[in-house]
Amino acid sequence: MDYMFQSTVPTERRKGEKGLKCKACSREARENGYCELHMKAYENAIEKYKVWQKAMQISWKEYLSEIVKNPLTGEWAREVAESMIKSGEKQDGTSN
Amino acid sequence: MKKYTFVITEKPDAAYRIALALDMREKPKKMEEKGVPYYVAERDREIVVVSALGHLYTVAEEKNGRSQYPVFDFKWVPRYIAERGASQVRTWIEAIAKLAKNADVFIDACDYDIEGSIIGYSVLRYACDGKDQMSKRMKYSTLTREELEKSYAEPLPHLDFALIEAGLARHEVDWLFGINLSRALTAAAKDWSGKYTTLSTGRVQGPTLKFVAVREKAIRSFVPTPYWEITAEVKINGKVFEAQYEKEKIETKHEADTILNACENKDGKIERIEVKQFQQPPPPPFDLGTLQSEAYNLFGYTPSRTSKVAQRLYLDALISYPRTSSQKLPPAINYETILKDLSKASQYRSLTARLLAYPELKPREGNREDPAHPAIYPTGDLPARVLEDSERRIWDLVIRRFMAVFSEPALKQSMKTHININGHRFLLNGRRILKEGWMHFYEPYVRSEEMILPPTEEGQTVTVKKMILINKFTKPPPRYNPSTILRKMEETKIGTKATRAETIQTLYDRKYVQGEKLTATDLGLEVLEVMERYCPTVVSIKFTRELEEKMNRIQTNNQKKEKVLAEALETLKPVIEKLKENQKVIGEQLSEAIRKSRTDERTIGACPVCKTGQLTVLYSRKTGKRFVGCTNFFKGLCKTSFPLPQRGVIKPLAKNCRGCGWPTVQVLARGRRPWTICFNPRCPLKEGREKRD
Repeated sequence: MDYMFQSTVPTERRKGEKGLKCKACSREARENGYCELHMKAYENAIEKYKVWQKAMQISWKEYLSEIVKNPLTGEWAREVAESMIKSGEKQDGTSN
Repeated sequence: MKKYTFVITEKPDAAYRIALALDMREKPKKMEEKGVPYYVAERDREIVVVSALGHLYTVAEEKNGRSQYPVFDFKWVPRYIAERGASQVRTWIEAIAKLAKNADVFIDACDYDIEGSIIGYSVLRYACDGKDQMSKRMKYSTLTREELEKSYAEPLPHLDFALIEAGLARHEVDWLFGINLSRALTAAAKDWSGKYTTLSTGRVQGPTLKFVAVREKAIRSFVPTPYWEITAEVKINGKVFEAQYEKEKIETKHEADTILNACENKDGKIERIEVKQFQQPPPPPFDLGTLQSEAYNLFGYTPSRTSKVAQRLYLDALISYPRTSSQKLPPAINYETILKDLSKASQYRSLTARLLAYPELKPREGNREDPAHPAIYPTGDLPARVLEDSERRIWDLVIRRFMAVFSEPALKQSMKTHININGHRFLLNGRRILKEGWMHFYEPYVRSEEMILPPTEEGQTVTVKKMILINKFTKPPPRYNPSTILRKMEETKIGTKATRAETIQTLYDRKYVQGEKLTATDLGLEVLEVMERYCPTVVSIKFTRELEEKMNRIQTNNQKKEKVLAEALETLKPVIEKLKENQKVIGEQLSEAIRKSRTDERTIGACPVCKTGQLTVLYSRKTGKRFVGCTNFFKGLCKTSFPLPQRGVIKPLAKNCRGCGWPTVQVLARGRRPWTICFNPRCPLKEGREKRD
């Protein structure tokens, strides 16, 4: 099988300088290790934990897996939750 | 040679209608000049009625330079000079110019609004050698014979130059913003990636994209929170009803469990019954925006489709001019005559008879006004041809709405029964219509559900059959649909009634949004981010609205066009400079989004064989032919591939095959009905088909 793989960005340019990558995607990270798009999702995930905790008495880890499997969770919020599960990040930003 | 009156209209259909109305024998002669049709009507003198083809002239840059920016010098030129594929316009202008030579009286009979006024003005000024200054103006809202005859007999003495100035300003400002910003984005992306992709933005497009993008970000960042609802199934007079707990959202599981435990196996007692009667007035008559919204909700028609259908009905003299923002119906349109004419159609006979029996016909009107036209109303004429489904539906909708506005308010009753179950209150809500009023006239289009409760009395005991606890989650805000985004544009006063639907379509064409529920694509989000970072003013709703207001003031002679243009340029120049300074960074950002958008367009779905790769549309290096292959081939992990039809557009479908769960594509080929392909050779649906064959 032979392909003509279509890339619009020349390789040498793709190798160019880049800052720190977002924990959830390949975009450039800003504060807290997330890009501009995932930042709001991260803030939401932190903020909404208080509501979940009050409502269901669940732990941070349980909360993250709940929002990952909830179909109403937004795409970016899910990516943030998955990245936090993977890295073991706590709600205060520290890791295990 | 005998001199004649020269009448210019916006579209060929309108030219025929006007010639038909003005000819004494209702038989105007159809002629041709260089293949361009025109009509000769005989009245007090000879009248030559010729049409434009919409805009024949447009704004273009003073010097040609396709991708140069910034450009601040412009001029009005024939459309064939500025646009590819507009060569027909040249013949059209030449024909108009020839016909104008032997005329001594000029009348502009284009639609009476901003666009119509510019069309008429530019033809009279440029094609008819400066006849704009001596031209009269026909003003009408329907293409009925009576109204056209009246507007011909009593034309306005000259063109509405304030309206024209406002229109020219709008076109020129939009051109300046559109050309410069779009070229800045396109050039940045091309410079970085070496590939050309048309990117565009503009004074109205930018803020409209912002509405969609802001909503998209809220949806994608959304984290749902839990809450609980409790329903009690109660039996009243042998029938089961669902009563809701008085607090709609119970925030903790503990509280919900406590209530549930307290109510289970207990009877309820009716504490209080609240009965309220209220009147619901008829809806106001349609302006274009409300017609587009209603047609979307009832028939699923996009705003641009409704606009086109309404325009056809107007050209057939079945409804009044649809591009109006008025919700007023002045008595001058003669309500009684229209209703009497409509009664000739059997389906409206009994309804119109009821209205005609009223001592006085007084419409319920809305707040919106339009100095040029009344709200949309039926002319009373009946179709002279068989209408298409969409035309018949919109015509019927306009007629029923017109009848409804003259009718009485509907009388409704709401009933709230408070049931106490062991100290916890549950509510049973009922609704019923006591008197239909206007709803009778608008019947097929009324959305009202009745919930009739049985007769009960306070103190009565009810049996609780079951208690139901439901765990729910808060929902993200809804995505805009073509109707709600249009309403948002109207509310925030950006764009005009004539251009809003077109702006929404451009967002689709540029692939900034997709789907019936407007979903911003990554490219759309990226374009907006660039705009917000480097030129936030341009996408600011406040700036756009203020500019709209200034342009509206030109229309009322309270602002000069030159001043508005100068101020717009003052805003635009530093913006363009900033975009140019940051061209490299912007180019990288946009190129990445374009690349991702192109990859997404080609990605069909997860590979069902290796489960880790993605099936993608690829092209053979040897033959150039397209096929489907797995991305894991490049890692030497999967050799899955399938052939594809070589003609037509391949559109990956977001849903998998219902027979086997494999990803599917749709093929759209000219002259054929779109068909769906499932790549699984052992798909049970195919086996079933083969057996049948």
